[in-house]
Amino acid sequence: MVPRRRVERGEGESNRMSLKILELQDRYIKFSIDGIDSGIANSIRRTLINDIPKLAIDKVTFHHGQIRDGEGNVYDSSLPLFDEIVAHRLGLVPLITDPKMNFRDQCSCGGSGCPLCTMSYSINRIGPGLVTSGDLQPIGNPELVPADKEIPIVKLGPKQAILVTAEAVMGRGKDHTKWQATSGVSYKYHREFVVRKDATEDWEYFKRKCPSNVVSEDSSQIRFTDDIHCPWIEQLLDRPEVKVIEDDTKFIFQFETDGSYKAIDVLQYAVKRMPQRLNILLDSLVTPD
Amino acid sequence: MIIPVRCFSCGRVIASDYVKFNEKITEIRSSGREPTPEEISATMDELHLHRYCCRRMILSHTDLIDEILPFS
Repeated sequence: MVPRRRVERGEGESNRMSLKILELQDRYIKFSIDGIDSGIANSIRRTLINDIPKLAIDKVTFHHGQIRDGEGNVYDSSLPLFDEIVAHRLGLVPLITDPKMNFRDQCSCGGSGCPLCTMSYSINRIGPGLVTSGDLQPIGNPELVPADKEIPIVKLGPKQAILVTAEAVMGRGKDHTKWQATSGVSYKYHREFVVRKDATEDWEYFKRKCPSNVVSEDSSQIRFTDDIHCPWIEQLLDRPEVKVIEDDTKFIFQFETDGSYKAIDVLQYAVKRMPQRLNILLDSLVTPD
Repeated sequence: MIIPVRCFSCGRVIASDYVKFNEKITEIRSSGREPTPEEISATMDELHLHRYCCRRMILSHTDLIDEILPFS
């Protein structure tokens, strides 16, 4: 069992909550939050998974019957996969989302569907060939295209064709995975490996291999952290003389998005969303009169 | 059947990575040998398939869509 206690703070470091971004890519983010407990950390994680509004295809209309191309060739509209499977696969395709779009049940159109809450797409392909998510043509806003254009949807044989229209609406991850913007949301404690220089002779090897993982160093000991990934630092876990200290008030988060948003935008929305979630809880409390 | 769009466990989109993974493996096979476990592992790392839930989606999949293509 690893001992858990606060890692002593250096001078000038306050006990207030602070967020620091450790690694940032378009679709991936790693950040640390200092000064929170596991309850808050877990509610951030759950907000990131469950409560990010995102666009996903919700209704698919299939054209059944003969499909003719420009030269008069006749194609069959029945597919090798069931229509339900194709519709499900279309739903899971990540779509680039405009966060200003309304939820359908809260839209000014009253739920009947309008450009403010609904985005339409169509697929028109003749076989043989592989139908991919790149064949989804947006009708309306041309920016809201699939974030990934190489997802296979269905394969068409000779004399087979597909003609569908699809409607995408906003939703949240708690209703269906297709509205889940993030994946691999996880957090861990910040931990430090206390290496005594007289007990571990090759400490310089780790310092050379992972220079940015050094937290502090003095004449007798050197401290490493694995907040930032470094393939060599994990070897220290196998050394019995190395003491590991975990800090249960500092959390290292990481997650990736499916491309519908940038990772930093998802984080900003989640932080804004958390007080709203608590207000929903407050509003649902009934006081006895 | 056809490759699932997302990983069953974590929800990451893996279908497009399967296409790229297959291209790489076919390329190695066309040079007249089977890919080594290290090459398969490195290919998945390049596609940023870090979690083992996503890796098993790719690794354990058998593409049978061509077999059912005539039966529409």
